[in-house]
Amino acid sequence: MKKLRVLLVDDEIMIREGFKRLFDWEAHDCQVVGEAADGMEALAKIDSLDPDIAIMDINIPIMNGLKVIQLARIKHPDTAFVIVSGYDDFSYCREALRLQITDYILKPVNYEEFGTCIDNLKIALFRRQSSKTEDLQEERTITGLTRYMQEHLAEEVSLSVLAEEFHLSAQYISQLFKNEIGVGFLTYLTNIRMEQAKKLLLSTSLSVAEVSEKSGYGDYRVFTKVFKKSEGVTPSQYRRDFLEDTKSVQK
Amino acid sequence: MLRMEIALFMVLAFVAFIYFSAEKKYTLLHKTFSWLLIVMLFHLVMDGITVYTVNHLDTVPVRLNDLFHRLFIGSMILVFFLFYQYIAILVEEETGKPRRLDKAAKIFLLIAELGDMVLPIHYAVTPLGNYSDGIHVVFCYLSVAFYFLLCAGLLLINWKKIQQKKKTAIGIALLIELLVTSLQGLRHTWLISGMGLTLITLAFYLILENPDILRAELTEQKMSMLYLKSQVNPHFLYNTLDTIRIQAQLNGDKQVAELLMHLVDFFRLSVKVDRPMVDLDDEMELLEAYMELMCYRYPELECEYDMDPDLGGAPVPNFILQPIVENSLLHGLKNKGYRGKVTISAHKTSDGNMEIRVRDTGSGFSPGKKAAIDELLESYAKQPPKLVGNSIGILNVQKRIKLLCGRAYGLWYTENEEGGVTAHILLPLKEELM
Repeated sequence: MKKLRVLLVDDEIMIREGFKRLFDWEAHDCQVVGEAADGMEALAKIDSLDPDIAIMDINIPIMNGLKVIQLARIKHPDTAFVIVSGYDDFSYCREALRLQITDYILKPVNYEEFGTCIDNLKIALFRRQSSKTEDLQEERTITGLTRYMQEHLAEEVSLSVLAEEFHLSAQYISQLFKNEIGVGFLTYLTNIRMEQAKKLLLSTSLSVAEVSEKSGYGDYRVFTKVFKKSEGVTPSQYRRDFLEDTKSVQK
Repeated sequence: MLRMEIALFMVLAFVAFIYFSAEKKYTLLHKTFSWLLIVMLFHLVMDGITVYTVNHLDTVPVRLNDLFHRLFIGSMILVFFLFYQYIAILVEEETGKPRRLDKAAKIFLLIAELGDMVLPIHYAVTPLGNYSDGIHVVFCYLSVAFYFLLCAGLLLINWKKIQQKKKTAIGIALLIELLVTSLQGLRHTWLISGMGLTLITLAFYLILENPDILRAELTEQKMSMLYLKSQVNPHFLYNTLDTIRIQAQLNGDKQVAELLMHLVDFFRLSVKVDRPMVDLDDEMELLEAYMELMCYRYPELECEYDMDPDLGGAPVPNFILQPIVENSLLHGLKNKGYRGKVTISAHKTSDGNMEIRVRDTGSGFSPGKKAAIDELLESYAKQPPKLVGNSIGILNVQKRIKLLCGRAYGLWYTENEEGGVTAHILLPLKEELM
């Protein structure tokens, strides 16, 4: 697949340098194509470079990061945004969700773990593309695979199950994920399961155990651990935060 | 009449006892009030004595009578001066304007005291009782009038700038002074000056100098110090630390970068105080960041975790583990040169609760310390809220557990057989899915 083009936005040169030099972009099929130190510059760079990913600090001079995203979205609906912020605050998260930010990470950035974030972005980009090409007559293999996975989330979905279902070799499918989406099969599976879990946690009153089951985890303890690793909070905490936040907004 | 002087003396002596035993700031104002109390007590003694001697002119030698009268009037003038001084300092504290009348007040005090000492005393003898009069006593009235005018002037000029409560205190004092002096002037035999002065002193005490107010002042000062300390913007702190961390990593110093990462984590997690309960995992994350740093500083320090993985999502009161572990390090392992081990474990108890243990291989309790700690943790509710001092950390932990989880839960210490101590924290475990 083609390399993803990345724009770095932070008012601190050290943070940008850190991103540029401490994260292995090459290994993640990415390439840093530009940098910006304030809101206006960021907007201009997004216009001129049209990056696939913009990594964006919220608290930047002239125009804050959320505003930049809001404006940039109009002309560049396909650019994925990652918010990086020291503000450990759920209200920013909520605002970010409203703007459909693809991911949200907190400073201090652990560059070794930043790869997970890039993986999530790749999946999001892939999903957006496949939803656009949905009405095309001929369905690509990968789309068929992912659709099957989405529909059978609660069940046991493994490479061997897919191989049997689609009459392909497991190895071929694995390679297909790497080539088409840029992430491994398991990463993709975990991602869609987490998406499902988050959706269920916020939109239903199912218990955590039920959510766990419907998201494909027989053992809710495993589910809790995976969820915590991916979202930073436990499932019940995630739900509580959201409810508290909506409550405080309604006040 | 003597009985009144004795009663007044006892009242003021009681006030003085309370006042001097109260913990307070040593400001000029409080020092002046302390002097006022001492001089007032002396004055009341003289008052009592002269009430007796002036009515026994035939049996008490004239010289002795004169001496007591001079001391009586002299201390009265000093009291008036101290009233003025007290009010002047009060006004200065309120307005911030320096006291410009002090010199005049002191010169007048000197003249009045001098006059009191040298001028002849005359005693009037009446059927209702005896009293002193003549030029000597005029000085007394003069000083009342002089200091009264100074105080009234201060009050009126700064009327708008003085806090209502303090205005009331000064106003009451001046009114009493005016009333009692005029009554005394009209009815010389009443001898009520001592009562007036006591009332004024009491007014100051009750309105401005009582122990509650002193304590509040003290706490406010400490709080504002703590507040200022906490005013270092945490975002500034960890953003800067993070910048340094990235620079270290760019320079290829992975170790420094890691240490800074722990420090940043520690600060980030410890400023999250808005939430009373957190997951045990969050609490452990904070603790691990702290221990990583401590173990780096003291390489012979070891830390071991033994956590039941099921308890990761269990809610616990925020910030309870770090103070306990810090306590183990500072009071146990420090005495052994930070050589030893801290083991932190969490497990379910047979009755469905959760117990967290912090076990150290430190020096253990010194003789008597165990009992003191047991007593402190047992009677946590009686302990006044402290801001600093020994055992403040564990006392706070105990109070928060009791408040957030219930009285059945809490913190206690046991001694290990092979040395060191173990802190036990018992917490409820809700059997909801985590």
